[in-house]
Amino acid sequence: MNIQFNNRDPVYVQVVRHFKNQIAKGFLQPGQAIPSRRELANQLKINPNTAQRAYKEMEEEGLIKTEKNQPSRVTSNESILQDLRDELIIQAVNEFVTSVKSINVPLDDALTLVKQKYEGEKGDSDD
Amino acid sequence: MIELKDVVKKYGRKEVLKGVSFTASKGEITCLIGVNGVGKTTILNAIMKLTPIQSGEILVDDEKVTKETFEKVTFIPDATTMLPNLTIEEAMDFMNDFYKVWNQKRADELLKFFNLNQKDKISSLSKGNTAKTNLLLGLALDVDYVLMDEPFSGIDIFSREQIAEVFTTHLIEDRGVIITTHEINDIEHLIDKAVLLDEGKIYKEFNTEEIRENEGKSVIDVMREVYRG
Repeated sequence: MNIQFNNRDPVYVQVVRHFKNQIAKGFLQPGQAIPSRRELANQLKINPNTAQRAYKEMEEEGLIKTEKNQPSRVTSNESILQDLRDELIIQAVNEFVTSVKSINVPLDDALTLVKQKYEGEKGDSDD
Repeated sequence: MIELKDVVKKYGRKEVLKGVSFTASKGEITCLIGVNGVGKTTILNAIMKLTPIQSGEILVDDEKVTKETFEKVTFIPDATTMLPNLTIEEAMDFMNDFYKVWNQKRADELLKFFNLNQKDKISSLSKGNTAKTNLLLGLALDVDYVLMDEPFSGIDIFSREQIAEVFTTHLIEDRGVIITTHEINDIEHLIDKAVLLDEGKIYKEFNTEEIRENEGKSVIDVMREVYRG
């Protein structure tokens, strides 16, 4: 696991965002065990308190579950996972619309291009 | 918690600390930031009672620094060392004889973590390895607070990375750490709290995640405001 952090967003927010992406993309499967807080801090070279904060946040959102003396695991709750996918799609569409609007591209042209691109590059993924 | 309350320190007529107050908690990494000569090292020396203060108070876990509280704190000086003629192994033995709170198991772990060879003579080490040896000798003590003076100063990038990494491991545990630095780049994501000093005064004391969250600022953004503002 490796994250290129920016300096202006809270580190815990960036860690949560990273986990959401990994879960939505299926790199982290429902029920899969994730590193301990200490392991995560060490892997990402971040403060252990920050790793703790990120996990707390994900627990509150129901993305991960921690039972006593067990590693934390990605949730298997289908409705939470669906909400997560929706959240990421809406976020991506918002960003797309903002940047397309700012250069005054007519909606139909933009959608045609999206279709072409999407079909041409299906299977590719970027991070 | 280590707490400084309105600490004033003069060298002759020159006031180097002009009423410094801040706190450093257990389980957190507090970073004293400032250009050279602003009094960072003087603050650490004052906490360790290596230099007398003219007024103000320094408390460790709500008590004045005494012989007992003193055993809760260790000071890791910058890359110079007290024991140049010894091998690392001999230096560890020396520490073991000298300190009741020496933890040999952790010393061995640190030796491995830093890839140091205990048969090496300290005076023959590179600057990076000298800094690592210093850290080893300090961190192997079972104390609640660790003060580190410029652990990243003047050493190569890979040594800096390795030293930064130690903060993310169990080797630090839940101890309170105060480190001084004039360079924040390597450790921006590692520290809990930043205390910005300028000319013997505290300009700002803040939690780094909070300043990102509430103001969208990096530590360097805040430093720029203070030092160039």
